[in-house]
Amino acid sequence: MGRELLDRAAGARHFLLGNEAVVRGALEAGVDVVTCYPGTPSSEIPDTFFRLSPDGPYRFEYSVNEKVALEVGAGASLAGAATLVTMKHVGVNVAADPLLTLAYVGSPGGLVLVSADDPGCHSSQNEQDNRWYARLAGLPCIEPSTAMECKDFVREAFALSKQLGHPVLVRTTTRVNHVRGPVAFAALPEKTPPPPFVKNPPRYVPLPVSARAMRLALLKKLDALADMADASPLNRVSGEGTVGFVASGICRAYLRDVLFDEGLEGSVKVLDLGFSHPLPRNLIAGFAQGLTRLVVLEEVDPIVENEIRALFQRRGIACEVVGKGGALPRFGEYSTDIVRGAVRAALDLPPVAAKLCAVPGDLPRRPPNMCAGCPHRATYHAARKVFGDEPVYSSDIGCYTLGIQPPFSAADFLFCMGSSVSAGSGFASASGRPVVAFIGDSTFFHSGITGLINAVANNHDLLLVILDNRTTGMTGHQPHPGVDHTIFGEFSSKVDLAGLVRACGVTPVRVNPFNHGATTAALADLKDKPGVRVLIAEAPCPIHARKVKIARKTPPAAVTGDPAKCLQCRDELACPAFVMVEGVFAINAEACSGCMYCVQLSPEIKARRKDG
Amino acid sequence: MQRLRVFLTGVGGQGTLTSTRLLALAAMDSGLEVVSGEIHGMAQRGGVVESTVLVGGFASPKISPGEADVLLGFEPLEAWRALPMLREGGFAAVSTDPIPPLSSALQREPYPAMADIAARIREWAGRAVFVPCHDLAVKAGNPQSANTVLLGAACAAGVFPFGVEVLEAAIRTHLPPKIVDVNVTALRLGAQSLDS
Repeated sequence: MGRELLDRAAGARHFLLGNEAVVRGALEAGVDVVTCYPGTPSSEIPDTFFRLSPDGPYRFEYSVNEKVALEVGAGASLAGAATLVTMKHVGVNVAADPLLTLAYVGSPGGLVLVSADDPGCHSSQNEQDNRWYARLAGLPCIEPSTAMECKDFVREAFALSKQLGHPVLVRTTTRVNHVRGPVAFAALPEKTPPPPFVKNPPRYVPLPVSARAMRLALLKKLDALADMADASPLNRVSGEGTVGFVASGICRAYLRDVLFDEGLEGSVKVLDLGFSHPLPRNLIAGFAQGLTRLVVLEEVDPIVENEIRALFQRRGIACEVVGKGGALPRFGEYSTDIVRGAVRAALDLPPVAAKLCAVPGDLPRRPPNMCAGCPHRATYHAARKVFGDEPVYSSDIGCYTLGIQPPFSAADFLFCMGSSVSAGSGFASASGRPVVAFIGDSTFFHSGITGLINAVANNHDLLLVILDNRTTGMTGHQPHPGVDHTIFGEFSSKVDLAGLVRACGVTPVRVNPFNHGATTAALADLKDKPGVRVLIAEAPCPIHARKVKIARKTPPAAVTGDPAKCLQCRDELACPAFVMVEGVFAINAEACSGCMYCVQLSPEIKARRKDG
Repeated sequence: MQRLRVFLTGVGGQGTLTSTRLLALAAMDSGLEVVSGEIHGMAQRGGVVESTVLVGGFASPKISPGEADVLLGFEPLEAWRALPMLREGGFAAVSTDPIPPLSSALQREPYPAMADIAARIREWAGRAVFVPCHDLAVKAGNPQSANTVLLGAACAAGVFPFGVEVLEAAIRTHLPPKIVDVNVTALRLGAQSLDS
């Protein structure tokens, strides 16, 4: 979806990705400032803002990490700007420090934080439930379930945030971020300049003496917000009967479809919970009247369920509450299947099992792989040549985590963004074993740099390989502080990665990983040195290079000699351009990127001649 | 109207998501309620791409096993793998052009015989069509349009609540101008492939 998102007029109806609808919702709310760190499933929100930024009525930045993004956003909101901050769920952990004081200080211009959770771990290292953060930090929590709601609820979240001068959490999940559906546009507002910031340190500086008062004010505000949740149009009651369902997020969609499929629409009570924290206490107490059984449908943790149990206990409401356990798991995504089971059980109907086609469990798998021409493959290959299985490989978050797969097997442990350096340091010092840590350039800027400073200052002993592919590869090629090019051309405010490493006290060795001889020589030289060593393996991601139009046209490789002599190269690289054609090794010219790395490993492989 | 759940599966780079969007837009342009979903975290890395189009008033973008009325398999092995998504007696349109996963390309795990894949799909589906998408796409002028060939074949089989002309209009409205002609040709060749 392109420039239509910036249309000022109301009335058009477009088929939008949930994340694009979030963008339109923020625009309809008059957003002034957008900050983020990219991460699946949130990335299309900032990427859309970035693409439209030359014409968009807002200031946009890819921040260096989520903490920085939220702090920049918090400051902008203090200055009166309506601010959107986006990140994936684990990013909120990085931003947790400012987040937990944000609601004390407040957000006068309005601040909406979008947390894109990932139940089922489609593309994440955990499936934490960020609705907890709403409770922990004292933020209202709003959960859309359709593309249209992604737009409308974000606009509502801004209205609420501006009205109270209080930050609001919009919690989405992968299915909602990546739903596509029709979205009807409202008009974009005329912007008016915000009232100027008036200095008032007791209000905005949480010294202990002020923080105590701020905490009391926050608790009062949460009480008022609970009353607002009771009356919010985002919470809707429908249907009749003695069995009720309270559903939030995408579970609302599953419930609606199941009730239709089972012919039960209208014959049970449903509370669609769009404004889920603070819990709409009176609304739920009223909803429970006449119910004998209430089923809570929420993905991951039993948060609303336990709050309802506590509410019923306090108010002496004798209604059975059905939640997690049994048919409703605490892990993974829900589905129409799971919800159908819960609905039928709640109505004392016998379970139904769909008849499913059985498929052999041993079909060839298709795991994701590093692309043909990926510089990480070359670096991993060289590292394996030099180190083999001896060191422990401390990995990090990015495309290069795929180095976990054979033939590289170059990931032995991983926690989170930036942990390769610091966890590697700790492991090396406690075990005495050699450690090689791998981190990408964007992840290094994000939070690897602090680990490196720490490693130098505390005399740790490890080799850090910075896989510098000049972009943020995994999440869709977003710029970071060290890039040379963005989709808008050359990047002028670049931060020098090697200079940064040097300033930390390590003179980095720089290589082009596609130069096999130079890379293995550099790694062999660094292998036996003590202390903190840094190798920067620098070559652009080929997909990024094509996107920003800096790719050089190189011919693909071809087997010109004896294919039988290429099998070691085949097994060591596992490049997706390699194929066996009727038992004979060959290189697929359409898939080959022309990186010329395999050419250096086998004399039987050469650059394909133009006429061949 | 009759509700319809379509499950699409393919390999990163095949245009599975473009076809998904096109199918959904065609439904929306003909005034139908439609919702669609996709999972594509690692798609660019040669992994499996799965997506859905649900027509007729569904709220959920996700399809549970056994719920799909239509399975579009842009790659035969992935079509077989996704067969548990299709309800018994449903319709399947499947490309006959294998993209062997690396383990098969390197002959560590044999790629199943096309005849076996087709037999298993025919056993489960009420009706299945197998389409030489690559060859027809080359005939249309660009192998990249193989995804549109499959869409044309499925549409001509009458499983969508609109005809091929609606998809053709969607191509003209929603695809970049320079790839419209080749995709229209690919769509028609896919549709005609059912006649032979």
